[in-house]
Formats: sequence, C-alpha cells, structure tokens
Amino acid sequence: MSTAREQIFSSVRAALAPLPERTPRPVFSKDVAEPKWLAAETDSLALFQKRAEATGTKCFTDMDACASWLRTQAVRVVYIPAPLTHLVALCSEFCEVTSEYSRTRVNEIDAAFTPSAGAIAESGSIILSDESTPDRLAALAPWHHIALVSRAEIHRTIADALAAMPADPNLIWVTGPSKTADVEGILIQGVHGPGAQACLIL
Amino acid sequence: MAEQKVELFARRLDHGVQKAVHNNSAAGTEKRYNVLGTDYSAPDDLRRLAGQIRQHSIEYLDTYLEQAEQSLKRQGAHVHFAVTADDACRAVSDILQKAGAKKVVKSKSMISEEIHLNDHLGTMGIESVETDLGEYIIQIDGDHPSHIVKPIIHKNRRDIAKSFEREGLGDYNDDPETITRRARVFMRDKYLQADAGITGANFVSAESGRLVLVTNEGNSRFCLAAPKIHIALVGIEKVIPSDADLAVLLNLLGRSATGQQLTVYTEFINGPARTDRPSGPQEMHVIFVDNQRSEILASDCREILRCIRCGACLNVCPVYRQASGHAYRSVYPGPLGAVLSPLLAGKKFKELADLPKASSLCGACNEVCPVDIPIPDLLLKLRNRGHQEHAPSPGTPPMGAFAKLASSPMLWRFAMKSNKVMNLVPLEKLPLPYLQPWLKTRTLPTWRGGEFRSWMKSRHKK
Ligand code: SF4
Repeated sequence: MSTAREQIFSSVRAALAPLPERTPRPVFSKDVAEPKWLAAETDSLALFQKRAEATGTKCFTDMDACASWLRTQAVRVVYIPAPLTHLVALCSEFCEVTSEYSRTRVNEIDAAFTPSAGAIAESGSIILSDESTPDRLAALAPWHHIALVSRAEIHRTIADALAAMPADPNLIWVTGPSKTADVEGILIQGVHGPGAQACLIL
Repeated sequence: MAEQKVELFARRLDHGVQKAVHNNSAAGTEKRYNVLGTDYSAPDDLRRLAGQIRQHSIEYLDTYLEQAEQSLKRQGAHVHFAVTADDACRAVSDILQKAGAKKVVKSKSMISEEIHLNDHLGTMGIESVETDLGEYIIQIDGDHPSHIVKPIIHKNRRDIAKSFEREGLGDYNDDPETITRRARVFMRDKYLQADAGITGANFVSAESGRLVLVTNEGNSRFCLAAPKIHIALVGIEKVIPSDADLAVLLNLLGRSATGQQLTVYTEFINGPARTDRPSGPQEMHVIFVDNQRSEILASDCREILRCIRCGACLNVCPVYRQASGHAYRSVYPGPLGAVLSPLLAGKKFKELADLPKASSLCGACNEVCPVDIPIPDLLLKLRNRGHQEHAPSPGTPPMGAFAKLASSPMLWRFAMKSNKVMNLVPLEKLPLPYLQPWLKTRTLPTWRGGEFRSWMKSRHKK
C-alpha cells in the first residue's frame, strides 16, 4: 500500500502505544440526547407538524390546500413526478406542470414535488434519499420544494432515524428552508436551496 | 456639530469590526445557552458523554481509521492518505488533473483553509469557487475567515456590497436579501458547470463508512448534486465509532454552533452513485489528512482533537470578542485556535507560541465546549512548552499585546485613549517568516473600542 498510508498509521500507533490506558467506549442508552420535552409528546404526527412549522417548513395534509398555497406563490413551472394525477390536475389550473426534471430547465422549474424517505418528529426534519428522490437537484434547486411524506414513515426521534438509515448512497435530513446569517447575522432564507420548504403528509 | 460627531461615530460603529464581532458572538452564546437549557436538564452530563465518545474515538484512532477506510472502500469510494498539507493539496489536484477537471465548486471546510487549497488549485490553473456565502465573500476579497462558523463576522453589508459591485455581480446594493439572491444566481451556473465538488466532513462513521456533512445554506448538497466527482478532505481525527454516536454529537453540534436543534441540511454520504441510484457524483474520493494530527495525538494536548468545530468557545471568549479572529494569525482563532494553531504549526510552534498566552484562563471555553475539552489546561501546558522552548515572551507582538491589553481593564482603557495603539503595530515588519503568507492578505481590524467607549459616554451625558 501507499507509503503515506503506512506513515500515518505508524505515527498514529506510535502516538497511542505509550498510553497507560485508553478511554473506554461509553455505554449510553439510545435516548440519552432526547430533549426533556419529548417524553410528553405521544403523537408523532402532531409533533412532526409542530417541529416542522417551528423550523420554517410548511405542513399540508391535503392536496387541495397545498395546491392553493402554490397558486398564491406565482409559480410558473412545477415538477410533479408521474403517479400523482390529482395533484397534476390541481396545479395545471394555474401553471405549467412537467413530469420530467431536466437539467436544462433548472432555472425555470420553480416548484417541485418529490417523494421522501420519511421524516423525523423530534426535529421536524424531512428525510430524502436517492431512492425516494431520483434527482437530487429537483429537491434542491427550485424555490419551492414540497416533500411527500408518508404518515407511516415518520420516525419519532433522531436516534430512531439514525438506527433505521437505509443503505443508500445519500441521505439528507432537511430541517427548514435553506438559510444563512452570514451578512451581519441577519437571517435570510433561500441561499442555494429552497426559500420555501414544505411537505405534504399523505 | 455635536450631532455630526454622533452620526460620525454611529456610522463608524456600524463599520466597526469589534462591535460586530462582539455582538454577533454574544448573541451566539445567548442562543446556545437558551436552547441547551430548554432542552436538557443536565446538559453538562451530555457534554461529558460527547467528550468521552470523542476521546475514545481518538484514542482508538488506529482501529477506527482503518475500519473507516475499509467501509468507505466497500461502498466504492477511493481512499487516499496525505501526510502533510502539501501532500493533501497535491492529492486533490492529481485527482482533478487525471479526470481533466478544470472547474470545481467548494463547500466550506476548515481543513481546505488549513492546507491553503485554493491557492494551490489556482497555481494549477484550476478554477475553484467557494460556495458558502461567507466563504465566497472571503475568497473574492482575498481575505481570511475570522470565525470558524461565521467566516465574515468582521464584515458589514457595505463592505460586501462594494465587493459584489467590484466583481460585477450588479450595481451597489447593500440589502442582505439582495446580496444573497445575487449569490444564488451566480452560484447556480458555477454548480452546473463544475466538474468536481470539494467538501470536508463533520464526522466519518467507521462502522458504516458514512460521511456526515452539515450546512445551513444547502451548498454542500449542491456540490454533490451537479458535479460528477466528489472529493472529501477529512482530518484523520474526524472518525467516530458508529452512526449511533451521532445521536449525541449532532444534537450538540447544531445547538452549540448556531442554537439550532439540527443544522438545516444534515447529509449522510455513503458512496458514489450506483446504476440504480444515478443522481450523485460517479466518483468519490476521500483524502484523510494528517498534517500534524498524529503529532498532536502523541502530545499531552491530544484532547484538542476531540473538537467538532462548533465555534462556541470563540463566541464566549472575552479575548476573541475584543480582538476578532484575525488577531490569532492562523486559520483557527479563539480558544480552540490558541491551542490548535501552535500545535498544527509543528516545527514552527515558536512562531505561534504567544497564542496560548492570549487568555485570562477564565474557563468559559471549557464550560461551553460540547465535547468538554479542558482548554484552559491545554493552554497552560502550551505556555509551559513555549517557556521551555524559549519562545518569545508575552508582550511581544501581536497576540501577546492583544492579550495583555484585553486582560487588564486599566491597560485596556489606557490603550483605547492612547490613539489606537494596536493599529500601529507594523505587522508586515515582524520577523516571523511563518506569518508572511497570512499577512500578505490580512491586517488587524481597525481598533475602535476607544471611540465606542467615549461615544457611549457622550451619549450618556446628553
Ligand atoms: S474546542 Fe469545543 S467549543 Fe471550541 S470549537 Fe471545538 S468543539 Fe466547539
């Protein structure tokens, strides 16, 4: 193997060898970092909605309400993947609908619905995976992103979600809209990713 | 006339680096304190647990680094090792040249700052664009970050508006929202044109081989959404045993850094694109960088390797708040930097041996540290080492002077009145070769504390 590798491993081993004893791996319960208010929350769906709204993610539980919101947002082109015919009908009333996410239209498509791989109630996060969201850009580049979250896939805690991570090349937890406070500490949404983050719970 | 003066001061204050740094840091400390208090009845127990997880990780680095390497390879990532900063730079440019890559987008990473990657890529004719808003502004200004989480804490909107105007990103406009939108539009094309995306990693899970990356802007996600090659530069100390440890570490990182329960985008990267998952980069390279870390591991200051780069110790530090990040003359400022920077300097330890003296040892840094690093103890050990190696004594330039001033209220007031003494330290004339690349692009912040104080006084008199 490469000499750099050997060099690093031998220096690391040499550094550790003289230690009289090494710090053991701590044993801790899975819920050790759960916030104290979590125990009182028994309804994961309600908790998810509350936490998501608190981080700036809009929650919808029916398609019509979601479409009405988009209508007020002056959306021009919305990407809706294949099987969601009712949503297509609703959105076609006020904007162009495409079922194809093309990289040549990255700056035109200003809203996108993508399926998610679930959600986390404790933090109000949406989980996206490459399996659920076949094009990473579709969930990132449009100003409005609406993740489709299935009720059955809401993990109660962060630790639960960590324990259930699927073998996917990429998983991302989205907790609110893209934001920055780089300029004088002033919070601005929509830096690179969505300025309006939403989810439609089905 | 009096009004004019007040206006003048108000305007200057608005420009005032020190005030901006002070207020922004104080706000960060406040937010962190509130969120930890609301969420945990015993936050200190959690910090100690996190500290033990990280201490265990680095004391078994031989095991975990090897395990991480195997796991990453199993998922199809290429794993490289770099002993020095130069080796790491070369490893990056070799990968890029082999692939014929000419344009890269970068997501904020302290280690790429540490190895001066952008300078290196520039000399190789490779365009490298920083995509984090703050880091981008640092890049176009030829400046350096003054905070590890909030890189442009020392700049105000007018500075930024001027830079954007100069770079052709539109007419002068200092509205933060407009600035952000312009960056959004500009970056879009950069992402889509880039051949490769370069990131760091907050953690690497040895068991699963997952690279964990957190950002609020979503720029790292973009770097992994458009380009076809992903290169991750990772300090060898970033390895943790398993995904389960993230429950503790992620919960503390977001809260300590920005007062958020979780950072907006928490990304788990588990290999390059596959035929059934074609969206991401087709090639993934992980470069593990030593650059003095194994030396630090061998030293009695190894606890500093626990650091998860949250920035809480900077925000809370009275010296950092007064002096700002650039006063530390190195990539890592604040209490973290006062320990880490001289150690990373290796043979040039002496040139930064004054940094550990820039502290009143008040202990606040240890109290806020999410991984419970005993920073004051480490500072004392390093002071000792500096003493034994006959490094220049305190009071000599320039952090020592900062420190002395900042630690004595009487001296401080005197210095403030005596016409901004700190502005008179001729940095470029200091006989410190190690600092020259740093000084080429940097000056100490203009010293305005005295004006602020007397302005406050004149306000009170009214
Ligand atoms: S030393 Fe501790 S408080 Fe400071 S940046 Fe590192 S983890 Fe955060």
